[in-house]
Amino acid sequence: MSDMTPVPDDVLLSVNGLKKYFPINHGWLQRQVGEVKAVDDVTFDIKKGETFGLVGESGSGKSTVARLILRAYTLTDGSIRFRRADDSITELGGLDEKQLRPIRSEMQMIFQDPYSSLDPRMRLLDLIGEPLVIQGKLTKDEIRDRVQELLGLVGLRPEYVMRYPHAFSGGQRQRIGIARALALNPSFIAADEAVSALDVSVAAQNINLLQDLQEKFGLTYMFITHDLGMVEHISDRIGVMYVGRMVELGDTAEIFRKPLHPYTEALLSAVPQPDPRRRKEGKRIILKGEIADPANPPSGCAFNPRCPYATDLCRTTIPALREISGRQVRCHHAEELDLTGVGE
Amino acid sequence: MTNTTTNLPPERLLELKDVNVQFELREGTVRAVNGVSYHVNRGEVLGIVGESGSGKSVTVRSIMRLLPKNTSRDDGSILFQPKPGEEIRIDGLSSKSKKIRDLRGDAIGMIFQEPMTALSPVHTIGTQIMRTILLHRNCSKKEARERAIELLRKVQLPRPEQLVDNYPHQLSGGMRQRAMIALALSCDPVLLIADEPTTALDVTTEAQILDLLRELQAETGMSIIFITHNFGVVADIADRVAVMYLGQVVETGTVDDIFYNPQHPYTRALLQSVPRLGQSPVHRLKTIPGMVPDPFNVPRGCTFNPRCEFAVQGTCNVEVPPLVRFSDDQQARCHLAGKLPQEVA
Repeated sequence: MSDMTPVPDDVLLSVNGLKKYFPINHGWLQRQVGEVKAVDDVTFDIKKGETFGLVGESGSGKSTVARLILRAYTLTDGSIRFRRADDSITELGGLDEKQLRPIRSEMQMIFQDPYSSLDPRMRLLDLIGEPLVIQGKLTKDEIRDRVQELLGLVGLRPEYVMRYPHAFSGGQRQRIGIARALALNPSFIAADEAVSALDVSVAAQNINLLQDLQEKFGLTYMFITHDLGMVEHISDRIGVMYVGRMVELGDTAEIFRKPLHPYTEALLSAVPQPDPRRRKEGKRIILKGEIADPANPPSGCAFNPRCPYATDLCRTTIPALREISGRQVRCHHAEELDLTGVGE
Repeated sequence: MTNTTTNLPPERLLELKDVNVQFELREGTVRAVNGVSYHVNRGEVLGIVGESGSGKSVTVRSIMRLLPKNTSRDDGSILFQPKPGEEIRIDGLSSKSKKIRDLRGDAIGMIFQEPMTALSPVHTIGTQIMRTILLHRNCSKKEARERAIELLRKVQLPRPEQLVDNYPHQLSGGMRQRAMIALALSCDPVLLIADEPTTALDVTTEAQILDLLRELQAETGMSIIFITHNFGVVADIADRVAVMYLGQVVETGTVDDIFYNPQHPYTRALLQSVPRLGQSPVHRLKTIPGMVPDPFNVPRGCTFNPRCEFAVQGTCNVEVPPLVRFSDDQQARCHLAGKLPQEVA
């Protein structure tokens, strides 16, 4: 890992050549017969104070990337460098549980399902206060004050501290999850499909809340979602993943206006939009087939069987990630294709 | 309720009038459906949109007579006309009556959100489709199996001859949803009820399923009631739309009326809270203040008044709003309908 460039000053998190292969075991002896390349050679930076969106279909590896960054999984290979509160850079890749503990307070996660991610037998005081108890720096009274302050921050009444999660709606529970993530003043929050389970009007409220909190505390977000409308609204930059690989990476507005990878184009085209006239124009690209099996990916570019522009080259050679007009693209034909984005 | 049985116009397939459903829970009475009226014409797709708890699913369960045991009120009129002149009164039928069991899976098919829980995990796809066919059609097992394979081909599943002997867990989410559509279509229904059929799917698979449903609808001429909370999906598939809030239909209209000329403040607010692709990302999302009230304490007057930016105190929080008619198709349940400031599209 000595050939890596130093982390630029404005970068909070730098991921390089990240890999996670899960073994496939089979038979009575549970011998390893293959591996699932869930994340394969993924590289990206997240700048301080920005929102980075990670998009792709289920099975693309986007959640695995988040779990690797938060070190819920060990890495197969690669490096994750994180800028600490004291501005020093720490490599998270090889750390064990004990070494990770002080760093955990600086990186937090918000989960998709606000029902299963909160223990139904814990009061809000214990749920939101648990990280504070574990870090062991505050007294009981101080923890209570802090929990009440956190509830206020996410727009819940401080009197609710003694209530149980069942008394709250899905949107409110999501706010409880946000308060818990904020408890230790993290600098980085990964949100895995954080608003996907919520109703439209409630999702909008929580997105606005997350944006307010970002402004107030200078938070850096990584948003994992399949909702491209939400991603466009909230992210400064996005990465598009397909079968474990990053296929396009760059500025959100630019990618949405003019995608360079055929998969990005197809994803954007598939989003149903609240505009009935669009249906009559009938210009949607409907991808054939399904996402490739990461245990048995097609040869060449993993997207080639579904790609309307695929050539013989695509079927034999894996395209490299190349830099084209300030963007990273993994496609042999990125320059020649004239792809359609959204908007004017 | 005195319901004079008028004959439905020939183009009408299904008509709901003043349907009410209530449940008894320990916490009190849930007024899930409150005087819902809507209709479906032959060959059209009716989209029903609303947030969770708006009663959209309970209403269609009432059509299928699949209400839970703790239902304490279940009235109103539901008329079904599978063929012009052949009117069937569905309301009041017990869930196990011969009449409704003859309709379910035959003239009315249904698909659900989660194909993994809706399909039986211990029977093959083929067995499940064949059972429906054998129940409603007078044919041999061999013919039923051939029909099952033909149906799987129709929903564009690969290798239908092999898939017919597969179990649901062997298929991906998108393929399972296709298998469920094949099952629902097994007896050529005139009405397909689809309850959030694409919500659990990826956008690319969702686009495939919507495309398939549109194709099948054009081919067979069936009608579809399509329930969703996603306005994008409604815009993509519906001819007419009913917007529901707290057990009531607050606005109905053609898909163009609802999207380009919404008259109810709730419809407008919902449309504005969806981020649209290709919009400049700087602005904040517009939200609806507060949340959907719990169904035990439905607000007085207009049920939307505590969250409505246009609410007039003394009117909206006291009097139940009338249904205001704008055109043949567009109606909104609002005191201020037609008097709202013109919206900038």
